[in-house]
Amino acid sequence: MVRRLAILVLLAWTLVALGGRWLPLHPDRMALPHILEAPDSAHWMGADDLGRPVLDRLLVGAGVSFRVSVLVVSLSLWFGVLIGSLAAWYGGRAERLLVLVMDVFMAFPGILLAIALAGLLGPGIDNLVFALTLVGWVGYARLARAQVLSVRQREHVQAAQALGTPSWRIIWRHLLPLISAPLVVEATFGVAAVVIAESGLSFLGLGVQPPDASWGSMIRDGVRYMLVAPHLVLAPGIALMLVVLSVNLLGDQLRDWLDVRSGLREQGRER
Amino acid sequence: MGASLYQIVIRTTILYLALWLGGCQAQSSHTAIRFALATVPSSLDPRYATDATSERINRLLYARLVDFDEQFRPVPALARWERLSATHYRFILRKQDRVFHDGTRLNADDVAATYRSVLDRRTASPHYGTLKLIRRISVIDADTLDFFLDHPAPLFPAWMTVGIVPKAAIEAGRPLDHQPLGSGPFRFVAWPQAGRLELERVSDGQRLVFEQVHDPTMRVLKLLRGEVDLLQNDLPPELLNWLRTRQGIQVVTRPGSNFSYLGFQLQDAATGKLSVRRAVALAIDRDAIIRYVFRGAARKASALLPPEHWAGASLPFIERDLPRARALLAAAGYGPDHPLHLVYKTSSDPFRVRLATILQQQLAEAGIQVTVSSYDWGTFFGDIKAGNFQLYSLSWVGIKSPDIFRYAFYSQSLPPAGANRGRFSDVQTDHLIDAAMQSNDLQQQAALYRQLQKRLLEQLPVVPLWFESQYVVARKGISGYRLAADGNFDALSYVTRR
Repeated sequence: MVRRLAILVLLAWTLVALGGRWLPLHPDRMALPHILEAPDSAHWMGADDLGRPVLDRLLVGAGVSFRVSVLVVSLSLWFGVLIGSLAAWYGGRAERLLVLVMDVFMAFPGILLAIALAGLLGPGIDNLVFALTLVGWVGYARLARAQVLSVRQREHVQAAQALGTPSWRIIWRHLLPLISAPLVVEATFGVAAVVIAESGLSFLGLGVQPPDASWGSMIRDGVRYMLVAPHLVLAPGIALMLVVLSVNLLGDQLRDWLDVRSGLREQGRER
Repeated sequence: MGASLYQIVIRTTILYLALWLGGCQAQSSHTAIRFALATVPSSLDPRYATDATSERINRLLYARLVDFDEQFRPVPALARWERLSATHYRFILRKQDRVFHDGTRLNADDVAATYRSVLDRRTASPHYGTLKLIRRISVIDADTLDFFLDHPAPLFPAWMTVGIVPKAAIEAGRPLDHQPLGSGPFRFVAWPQAGRLELERVSDGQRLVFEQVHDPTMRVLKLLRGEVDLLQNDLPPELLNWLRTRQGIQVVTRPGSNFSYLGFQLQDAATGKLSVRRAVALAIDRDAIIRYVFRGAARKASALLPPEHWAGASLPFIERDLPRARALLAAAGYGPDHPLHLVYKTSSDPFRVRLATILQQQLAEAGIQVTVSSYDWGTFFGDIKAGNFQLYSLSWVGIKSPDIFRYAFYSQSLPPAGANRGRFSDVQTDHLIDAAMQSNDLQQQAALYRQLQKRLLEQLPVVPLWFESQYVVARKGISGYRLAADGNFDALSYVTRR
């Protein structure tokens, strides 16, 4: 039941994000007489401090958080896996240097670094993606390196080496398929983390700029009217919570499904 | 059903926040009157203070020679004055209520020492620019002193509003900004931390605590919980309206005199054209903004001085007229194929950004494309003073004397000497300012200033927007607080707490 709900939420999130442009949304249309109006039949989620429909802004904000999370996770995954697996494959000084760099990145709180970078580069969605990617690749690189180190001694890899297969081909054909399962699980949790980080940075004014909507900036704008119009904070807050919760729930499911040991445990119980 | 659910959500939110606050805050004293402020004063030395909060609190701590009545006419406070010649003024101190809080009597030497200190370039007082026309100060006796001026200044008494500090404190180098010593209705008790200032009323020993609560929602919650008794201004209008419906809370409003305007850079190719400025003025729907955004807590403005000012003018308001605005733009060479682009600078205060966004939308309806750029206060004000803008919005706060026109619109008053930030230069305006400044007759001055305001409304170096109302929110036990048009805190001298 919970899993179905989670799938439903994520499906809705994806559909709204991908199909939002074809919906008749007016997120920036101001109507002063509707300022801070409570939810009613005309405005399902009420109106904000400029009389703009909260529902329309929420749907547009869904698109922003989806795009940012997909972009950041894809880029982080790509760079992280590339750097981590190459370092583990070739080893040597480059690997030691890379481990040092990763340790430095890991020691520093990621969101603080992202705030500093976004502040340095200036507000905006592109800079936000850049800052989050710069912080995000380390986790994937670390995981990819560890996985490659554990599978590089396997017989089929050694056989490929003995046959003179080029390194890139070995990594692509023989290593990546083996290490992809934990990376996919990590990426799933990464989506949830990026959705939260994007909202956090937009809340601080470092992400999406007015008049564009994002969940974080909607919460920021709504905080001032929390006593008068709590729907301004509740609508994006609940949407954010549902998406993050659903991503994490499905991530857990995915991990259990891909984990060979948990599969064995299940079988053991059945016996 | 939907409405009741909504009410439940609102009440739960309030309860949760109130409980959370309760966990954070220690119980305050129940005998003091606690006044919540959005910002703390920067200096309690009246020679240096310029920000509104400092000036308002310094009025409680220090007495001054001259004050203003409801029509903003200068009236005797600590002293009455005689104009012995165009450049010679005599001030005679009142006999009673002239005691500093350390028990010493305030006399003419203290007044002279205060003004000499302001005029000393080493003091670097921000009041120096206004008062530098004082050539000499001569003390006649303990109650009388003379001021000699470089040139005639009929408005001179209206500038004698600096709080009087003791001569002994100046000579001893006492840090008055943190250890104030004045002769006002309140004496200083303690300033234990930046966000908490404690005073005591001289007449009855009533304690007064100013507490900084930056966030408006928190300020309101503290008031509802009884952790503060009073707050004044700096709330979103919706929150003020909501407070009117709360039990145990009283809200009092009155028309204000702080003037909000849109300023233009007159040397810019676009905003330098009168037709463009008129088009901008005609595109703004003040009625809608005042009705829906301010919820009625503002009144339209057509000039810098409010109509009740002795030099104020009752001029017609510029009403919204989109067809005329478009026609003026077309005459200036702008249209759908070649739209007018303007950059509008404002501070990062959320309410100012909100107003800017609404104005952006209203100007867009007239075919003017506006980019809103918001900056922190320092950067924003620095850009405005440097003339680095096309369009900006600001307010003139606490304006009493009509010499503001010379300061803000005279062609020679370019920053830093004045505040003609848009580089406005108009021969007729200069002529009217000169004539008004030289006139010794109040009636004639008032007539000239009215002509001047009419001229400014024609030339539109700034678009007059509105005067925001003053309001105070108090718990039921507080009585006797009378709001001032400029938002000063003087009524704390009479306020009582049951």
